[in-house]
Amino acid sequence: MATPAPEVNVAVPALAPERAVEWPKRTRARLSNGMQVVLAEAHAIPKFHGELFLRAGEALVSDRAVGLAEMTATVVRAGTVHRTSRQIEEDLRRLGADLGASAGQDTSAISFAGLSEFAEPLLQLVNELARDASLPMSEFERERRQKLEEVRLERTSPGFLAGERLRKVLFGSHPYARVSPSLEQVAEYKREDLEAVYREIYTPENALLMLVGDFDPSKLLNDIEKIFGSWAGKKPIGRDAPAPPTFRGRRVYLVHNPGSVQTQILLGCQAITRKHPDWIRVGLANSLYGGAFNSRLVMNIREDKGYTYSPRSGITPLRQHGYFSISAAVRNDVVAASLTEIFYELDKLRSIPVPDGELADAQNYLSGIFSMGLATQEGLLSQFSTAELHELPKDYLETYRDKVRALNSAELLVTARKYFDSANMQIVVVGDRAQIAEQAALFGEVEFYDNQGNRRN
Amino acid sequence: MTPLQIPIHSITLQNGLRVVIVPDATAPVVTVGVYYKIGFRLEPQGRSGFAHLFEHMMFQGSENAPKMQHIKLINSSGGVLNGSTMYDVTNYYEAVPSNALERVLWLEADRMRALKVDDENLRNQRDVVKEEVRVNVLNQPYGGFPWLDMPPVAFRNWANAHNFYGDFNDLDAASLVDVQKFFRTYYVPNNAVLLMLGDVNPADGLALADKYFATIPAGAAPPFADPSEPAQHEERRGYVEEKFGTLPAMAIGYVLPQRRTPDWYAMALLDNALHGGRAGRIYRELVLEKQIAVEADGGIDDVFGYNGPSQMTTRILYKPEYTAEQTLGAFDAVMDELQKNGVSTDELEQLKVKARSDYYSTLEGGRGGYMPRYGLMHLLACFTLLDGDPQLVNSILDGFLAVKREEIQAVAKKYLRPENRAVVFRTPVAKDAKEAA
Repeated sequence: MATPAPEVNVAVPALAPERAVEWPKRTRARLSNGMQVVLAEAHAIPKFHGELFLRAGEALVSDRAVGLAEMTATVVRAGTVHRTSRQIEEDLRRLGADLGASAGQDTSAISFAGLSEFAEPLLQLVNELARDASLPMSEFERERRQKLEEVRLERTSPGFLAGERLRKVLFGSHPYARVSPSLEQVAEYKREDLEAVYREIYTPENALLMLVGDFDPSKLLNDIEKIFGSWAGKKPIGRDAPAPPTFRGRRVYLVHNPGSVQTQILLGCQAITRKHPDWIRVGLANSLYGGAFNSRLVMNIREDKGYTYSPRSGITPLRQHGYFSISAAVRNDVVAASLTEIFYELDKLRSIPVPDGELADAQNYLSGIFSMGLATQEGLLSQFSTAELHELPKDYLETYRDKVRALNSAELLVTARKYFDSANMQIVVVGDRAQIAEQAALFGEVEFYDNQGNRRN
Repeated sequence: MTPLQIPIHSITLQNGLRVVIVPDATAPVVTVGVYYKIGFRLEPQGRSGFAHLFEHMMFQGSENAPKMQHIKLINSSGGVLNGSTMYDVTNYYEAVPSNALERVLWLEADRMRALKVDDENLRNQRDVVKEEVRVNVLNQPYGGFPWLDMPPVAFRNWANAHNFYGDFNDLDAASLVDVQKFFRTYYVPNNAVLLMLGDVNPADGLALADKYFATIPAGAAPPFADPSEPAQHEERRGYVEEKFGTLPAMAIGYVLPQRRTPDWYAMALLDNALHGGRAGRIYRELVLEKQIAVEADGGIDDVFGYNGPSQMTTRILYKPEYTAEQTLGAFDAVMDELQKNGVSTDELEQLKVKARSDYYSTLEGGRGGYMPRYGLMHLLACFTLLDGDPQLVNSILDGFLAVKREEIQAVAKKYLRPENRAVVFRTPVAKDAKEAA
């Protein structure tokens, strides 16, 4: 920010002594079929939240067709050998339950929540979806038809267009570059493709069942053994993926979205995975830069200049690679001005050590919000599953806060220099070409695209 | 099922500020909220969008915490914060490690006592709000649909019918004088409730509330415009252009019964029968069975928090090969069936189990995994400001669970009528026109 905020002139109440943060104990087990189980108690409400993770998703199968893992997940919930789609939905409601099936790049998942009194029948339904899905032809045809409309529709969203382009640029021929299918690809999906994906990914050796909520873990573990114990199947065989490209210099990718009254800016560079030893320090550097409301980027281009409503930065940790990105939807006439400030703050963080007070504030912020999830079943499930799926050290949750607080500003300077690769950032802008092309060209050579993803002159 | 017994401690301070505390030491986290009984429905005429712009101004500086200090002090205490403007209330809330409770109360009291903002702050936030409107409405497919499209079609009273996000002309016209006047009129302790939920001892919480808030002077009882609507005698229809999206869309809104009347309880369950996800009748018929629609969702927006004419609204995006009349026909068939046969005993039983389960989730979370007890806070605030009774949190569920089949059919007949509804059609502009634009 250009002018520092004036200091508070009346004593702000000091923080009271901190209460210790205690993570609930996890009960771990591995069934004889290889399925991993993690249970944790949380008794605030008579419910539980759960997720059955399968450790593979789009990245494993997208060389066959983009979006196949997601389409498989969608049809998995639409029928089993014992229940029709309509029965499944009514049974869920009868159990007071919610359920969703989805797939990302690295994971497929069935997530669910329900009343504790009906834990057993809900787990039976999840089990049925995981091993006895019938992938009915009529359901598949309907979902494919729906998907065609969704594909047309998503190409009208500036956020989608920006994300799709950045991923294509950053990942080249690596599967992570494939975000969403084309209409042609969807039209060619076949039910047999889904069946193959289902057989390959939905296996107990590939599965992690995680449950958080109001239950007795030893009794529940018995139920789980009974319900899932006879499921059989091997882990899929992973394939080596091509390395993402490296970049020398900035480049601009302008996606023309006719009639835009605002420009979506999204820029990024390769960073690290969550498993990397530098993860915590990159997280802290990001929090200082644009990961919190009182971060430098937000203070500058929102609170000082009013260019945008919701600027932010973050690191997306996919399993094989992670990337750093910065986004802001800005007024059309301040695209260049916004990019200038975005780079200014980035370069400043790479050039000048962070003052101690600001560093301490950011450390408090990160360690404080880390424990926020303790208060809800959903928050706990999210923290526990992150630690498991990314294969983080056993004491990751318990030691995270201390590790954040141990960092110093010299280490952060090194971290920002290493991972916030200002000189080689790849810059995507989505907006009305006539209004923004000249501004965009100030930051590098420009490649033009239309909103269907085609390169233009 | 054991009856709910959430321990709710509440008092009213001398200046009229209501204080509600719910202790729960499960995690060392406390959620603090301040709700003011004013939303965008009753903002001043000629100043559409002002209640929301004003909400932004509440983060711009107060007597002892100048611009940025509020946000900086919450974040650096390890907490998160936000605010939101709704139809009839506006909230400001924080979730922080419990050792920051006193600091949060000091900050909330400071801005309730005296807002200290200047023209520069107002210009800045007016720009930020315009970008907010662009990113959420003007530059998005189906932006503002139907929550901004429906009111001018459905209602006749300006209070219910105007643009709640604000016309840019009105935002530009807003001045510092307006800001201070709105603050003095509505942001008085006797028009607010302070809430603390989580890791707080009730006696300590009450003492801190007294320490920081008790000396804020009460104001005159705020004036509230009459939001009532003239009687409606026929279906109302409106037409809006969709600039970006590829699919034709429509929204159907039915005016709701008043909160906490017998009809309201039945209507809430009827809403779940219609809109309860993939098992709901509308999604099942329009998306899964007849396969006319790509999306069909909606329902009562904030069933506990409205204090004036409101609707249950269905939002449908349908396939281009169907006409609007075919789509509306399929929707009407769902309504007709409900009026003719009501719901079965089995369906009603399912709806009640689901309503109970959803209610528990609302109490625990309600806004993602990182804003614990947002839902409970919201219910307590609405029951305090609108009903004068936070204890309703413990009993309101019983009202839903007592609804009978006949009552659901009766409200279906009474409320799901064309002359009680409005329909908005949002149609993509022709492709050629879009290219030329």
